[in-house]
Amino acid sequence: MSLLKPFSKLPGLNTANILLVENEEQFQQKLADTVVLQEKTVNVNVLARSLPLPMENEESRPRIDLVVFIIHLTSELSFQSAETSLKYLDPGYFQGKVCFLVTNARNVSVPPERLVSVRKLAASLHCPLLCAEDQTTEGVTTAAHRLLAILKVAAGLVPMATGLYLSTLTRCTVPSDIDQQNFE
Amino acid sequence: MEERNSTEETPRNNALAQRRSKSYRQSMRSCVEATHLAYTSGLLTALRIPRSRKAPKSCDITKQVDPDQVALLVKKEWQLSYVTPLYQFRHTQLKSYSKQLSAFIVSEKQQGLAIEVGQELGFKVNFSVVLGLAETDKDAETVFIQILSKQAFSAKDDAQKVVWSGWLTCVNGDLDYLRSLPLEFVSLPLFCTRGPESLTVLVKSWFEKTFDCCFGPLGINSTNLQWLASLWTGCHPTINIQYLKLVWTLPTLPPMDVTYTVHPQDAWELWDSMRQVDTTEDSISIDEVTGFIKGLQSHFFRHFRIDLSAGSLMQISTALGSSHHSGKIKIASPNYIPTILQLLTECALLKMPI
Repeated sequence: MSLLKPFSKLPGLNTANILLVENEEQFQQKLADTVVLQEKTVNVNVLARSLPLPMENEESRPRIDLVVFIIHLTSELSFQSAETSLKYLDPGYFQGKVCFLVTNARNVSVPPERLVSVRKLAASLHCPLLCAEDQTTEGVTTAAHRLLAILKVAAGLVPMATGLYLSTLTRCTVPSDIDQQNFE
Repeated sequence: MEERNSTEETPRNNALAQRRSKSYRQSMRSCVEATHLAYTSGLLTALRIPRSRKAPKSCDITKQVDPDQVALLVKKEWQLSYVTPLYQFRHTQLKSYSKQLSAFIVSEKQQGLAIEVGQELGFKVNFSVVLGLAETDKDAETVFIQILSKQAFSAKDDAQKVVWSGWLTCVNGDLDYLRSLPLEFVSLPLFCTRGPESLTVLVKSWFEKTFDCCFGPLGINSTNLQWLASLWTGCHPTINIQYLKLVWTLPTLPPMDVTYTVHPQDAWELWDSMRQVDTTEDSISIDEVTGFIKGLQSHFFRHFRIDLSAGSLMQISTALGSSHHSGKIKIASPNYIPTILQLLTECALLKMPI
């Protein structure tokens, strides 16, 4: 079982690499293009459907600084695929190098339990949870902007800030009231 | 929003984390409200998504409710909406409400139309109470509204026919919420309508003007459709459901609809195997429901290689009733009305922006 390790390769100069994992493969391309356009030091984006990544290009793949799991709340499969992919990440990633991005959180047809379970997952892993809107260009630009902010810290390009420090500020929390919801 | 809340709550000192001060609780409660982005829930509606329900018992509803009135409710397809509590709605003044509503409808319909002498646009409205549907003493009695009108070009002596009907109900509503309402308010959160959209809009605007309430569309999300499918399948031993049909929409290009019909005996055996060992217990938990639907989905996957969990559940139907994601419900059998209405009342209460 090949785990993706955070520090097994040397970092490049003035580069930061982001891995976007999404089961449906619709939002990743738009997001990747927007991230590259917004910032000139970000050179490489790696897109994947699910982990583990294929062994063939193991050597040519650069060091991945931030892994983003994109979960579409309209389908249950998206969430399950993200959960199974988590197993293929080395624990070193969970100290500020993993982020969850959720779309369609405001959609009326989405059962609220799904967002609650994604929150619980993100809170248990101490990772930030971002909500994004993927249908409009402004939504994609905003999401890219936020991811870029986290990416720069995770790649070490921001002085005096590390991924671990940022994650203690931005990590998702679930108040324990949610667990006490069913009084019957 | 998440960043702001986490900086407040992350304790710098372990000792402080033990202290449950009042302000900490209030900030936690506001965090709970902020999680549900589809609607804002106030302090009075503690957000509760039920994780278990009582198994439906077949009850002869005609013992509690007049059979003619039951016949008005079953075997028809209703469109659902939620309504916020009504201010100063009195069950004793139904006759005057009927007159006011009919006058309102007539005046709205005549706006902009040239008034012809002799043309009868007469609408007659009938408000009535359906006694017996309310389960607890906090539930308000169900109110049934009918609009009758003469068809155009009908003969002079023809009776008026029902062109629109609707009913407001509350069955086994959340007790804490109902107790917390001020005395002048009556809560009948579920509104079911059937008939032309123009009349529905007029009725809603009259209610909004008279009782200062708000209406909104009530959809039935996939979790609740799964609950309905399991509850109806569970009734198979007592009353034959004849088929279990589920319709999914898959997000392919072009979108694909999958209709999955299951033989009732097979569905019941799968449901029975999902029920935990203590089948004597009355309650059904959400895990059993999700397990049942997952079983159906994995069977489909094994045969067709299509994973239905990538799509969304749109409609379910059995011989006992059918329900659509957009908020349509049809109850075919009068025996299980209280259970279905209880589930729908819960949906309406959760959806309300109060």
